[in-house]
Amino acid sequence: MEVTLKIQRYNPETEKGGLETYTVQAEETATLLDVLDVVKDEVDGSLSYRKSCRMAVCGSCGMRMNGAAVLACKTPMKPLVDRGEVPVISPMGNLPVIKDLVVDMGPFWEKFRAIKPYLDDGGEDPPVKEWRVQQHQLDQIMKEALCIQCGCCVSECNSMEADPDFLGPAALAKAARFVYDIRDRGGKERLELYNGYHGVWDCTRCYFCNERCPKGVDPRDAIAKVGGRIYQEGMRDDKGARHAKVFVESTYKTGYLLETNLVPETVGPIAAIKEIPFALKMVRAGKVPNPLKPHKAGKLDEVRRLEKLVAEREREELQEVKRGPARPPDDLQPQPRTDD
Amino acid sequence: MVRHDVVVVGAGMAGMRAAIEASRYGVDVGVVSKLHPTRSHSGAAEGGINAALGNAGEDSPEKHTFFTVKGSDYLGDQDAIEVMCEEGPGDIYELEHMGAVFSRLEDGRIAQRPFGAGGAPRTCYAADITGHVLLHVLYEQLVKSGVTVYEEWFALDLVADGERCVGVTAWDIVRGGVQGVEASAVILATGGLGRIYRGTTNAYACTGDGMSMAWRAGVPLKDMEFMQFHPTTLKANGVLITEGCRGEGGYLRNGQGERFMFNYAPNAGELASRDVVSRAEQTEIDEGRGLDGCVLLDLTHLGAKRINERLHGSRELALDYAGVDPIDEPIPVRPGAHYHMGGVDTDVWGKTVMPGLYAAGEAACVSVHGANRLGGNSLLETVVFGRRAGAAAAMEVRSNGLGGVFPPAAVRATERRIRSMLEVERGPRPAVLRQQLADTMYDNVGIYRTADKLELAKQEVGQLREQYARGVVVQDRGRTFNSDLIQAIELGSMLEMADCLVTGAIARTESRGAHSRLDHPERDDENWLRHTMTYYDGGEVGLDYKPVTITKYEPAVRTY
Repeated sequence: MEVTLKIQRYNPETEKGGLETYTVQAEETATLLDVLDVVKDEVDGSLSYRKSCRMAVCGSCGMRMNGAAVLACKTPMKPLVDRGEVPVISPMGNLPVIKDLVVDMGPFWEKFRAIKPYLDDGGEDPPVKEWRVQQHQLDQIMKEALCIQCGCCVSECNSMEADPDFLGPAALAKAARFVYDIRDRGGKERLELYNGYHGVWDCTRCYFCNERCPKGVDPRDAIAKVGGRIYQEGMRDDKGARHAKVFVESTYKTGYLLETNLVPETVGPIAAIKEIPFALKMVRAGKVPNPLKPHKAGKLDEVRRLEKLVAEREREELQEVKRGPARPPDDLQPQPRTDD
Repeated sequence: MVRHDVVVVGAGMAGMRAAIEASRYGVDVGVVSKLHPTRSHSGAAEGGINAALGNAGEDSPEKHTFFTVKGSDYLGDQDAIEVMCEEGPGDIYELEHMGAVFSRLEDGRIAQRPFGAGGAPRTCYAADITGHVLLHVLYEQLVKSGVTVYEEWFALDLVADGERCVGVTAWDIVRGGVQGVEASAVILATGGLGRIYRGTTNAYACTGDGMSMAWRAGVPLKDMEFMQFHPTTLKANGVLITEGCRGEGGYLRNGQGERFMFNYAPNAGELASRDVVSRAEQTEIDEGRGLDGCVLLDLTHLGAKRINERLHGSRELALDYAGVDPIDEPIPVRPGAHYHMGGVDTDVWGKTVMPGLYAAGEAACVSVHGANRLGGNSLLETVVFGRRAGAAAAMEVRSNGLGGVFPPAAVRATERRIRSMLEVERGPRPAVLRQQLADTMYDNVGIYRTADKLELAKQEVGQLREQYARGVVVQDRGRTFNSDLIQAIELGSMLEMADCLVTGAIARTESRGAHSRLDHPERDDENWLRHTMTYYDGGEVGLDYKPVTITKYEPAVRTY
């Protein structure tokens, strides 16, 4: 089939670049990566992009197609050709461009390193054989374990666009993989790494990471899991945690969100004073309900029952995790290896 | 110029395991890799890793040893196989302690499933993404160890001071420029060479660079003619569908729907050794019982639940690259070049004949796979022998100290080589030669081999090497991320390694394991129970032989 695409080129040595259009012949089964290979082999050898496994497991070929991050090797071209589309191929976002479609993954790996990306054994000696772990306990981190560190989620992260130091979806999904591993002894010290500025609370919940992840990791869900654990551990001093608390408490009280409580309870009364002019502006615009007579949901009972249900489910899940004790119970202790 | 006590080239599982181990001995370790470590091809391994844990049924290291020896068609060195099978369980437990998410039995122990010709349920797995899980666990540990990693540095040449290896030269892919990397010991862990074949499961990066570096430095390569063809690869792009599918009970059917494997392996059926299954498939296809050049891998009877739980990754690959949902219909598959049993000749500590040079993983040939590797043994090899090479190299540095002196001229020599490649104005593009090479290897040095076809391949490879020597055109003349240049250099390695492979295959006039000669259909222990050694002979391939180490198991007839 004939494929036409536009590729965002950039050569750092000449500082020249721009959109170039290429039309090549490719197999019907061709992926975006296959088409780039044809362009490189037959049209312009100076086109640069990363590739290796071509089976969506090495994570090299993250790039953007029509502004959304994809793995080139997992993107079939036929549907686009059939629709007569001419896709624009550009480098991933939120990372500096080195050349053409190649970005500098340095900042990406810096954040990876910042979350203590390895199992914390607490300095304990491991058992002679394997840790006894139930499959359902491991299942809690299997989605995060699928992550190939391709960077597609980071490319699309809205929060990172505003705050380049935000740990971001990939690193925090990796964090969840350890937080919910019952063999990990990182405890609060580990959670503290994700709790402060640039941590879990900075996620704006836009869900672009979930949407663009080519492996179904669902990084936003992983961030929620880490936030949940932080909250459960009683680490509620961070603005993010307090912010979440207001939501929970005010919906319990009224079935609605009490916007007037949101700011003072999140940032504290003194800092909230500074926000008064802004609050007055909102009042004038009719955006603030009467604080003295808060509106209440008609079926408050139902809201509370719902909340109770969610809390119960979460408690169950938490217990499941906690059921994996600091050490497995005696009857599950691994037996010493018999080297006979 | 940078310096480390131990420099590991390649950062797949063998390389990272070697680096982690060496750093435990308190020596300064550097890793040079043309890919970021987690991009390495170890991550594409799906099915699992063998060790006689005995969790899912009666097993022992002796049994593992015997079936590996038998699987190797008695070409494996039995002392090395014993080491791997005895130490394997310890390495698995260590990976588990590092955090590997191995799938579990009801009682919380590591689950194990049967793989082809293993003789017991011995393959530990993490669903069907075992390599991915283990690669990332080792990277986590590498980060923890604080080892310096030179990501996207492409090692080009081994550097010697007299006899002794004192480092490598490398091209910094991102910034451009040749760098000297001085070391008291070098460990090559650069992986395989599957890309010399059309229709391979291997990543684009598997181009035999490390083997070629060693060969050019005068280190012999062992058993290069043995290339394993995996029975279940997708037609469109050669992507691997794990043996775990058959381990979980999948069937192979021909175009007429018949389960043909029992005609070839009456006892083991689909779970015969890979060479046996691939030959059976090829015979079915050649004799007209295939379907569009393929046979069918049928998982439909396993049910959606089991497929989603245990073979989720395979389902995803089949959906992405074959447009088939294995829950509803069988997957068309065919044999594809998968794993290279040969490599840099080493002892059981990864040591080569060159002082200061070690090798581990697919780049090396210890040899534990002999003429045919069992599924699940390659990941095991990477951790057992990666660990051993790392330990041995570190110990050598600690007792011998500095080693030799890195000659500054080495960097200039490599620079000249690169500059001359960038100056070629006329000639073929590397991709053209690469395609011709891959075609001739697939067509003439495939599952079934004959003297005529092998000679034809030798001639073609020779011509391609001549053309390459005259120069290929690198269109990208820049320094920054010049992947055109990298691919041109890789082509040089591929051509040399293909020549070694073909030369070994022509000489070996017998059929053993993955080397199947239609003109010499029988195994010939009297003349060929020996390792092929290919060495650099003024640019040509020299041949020599070496005896096989036999400890317990005398060669016997191999049936499944």
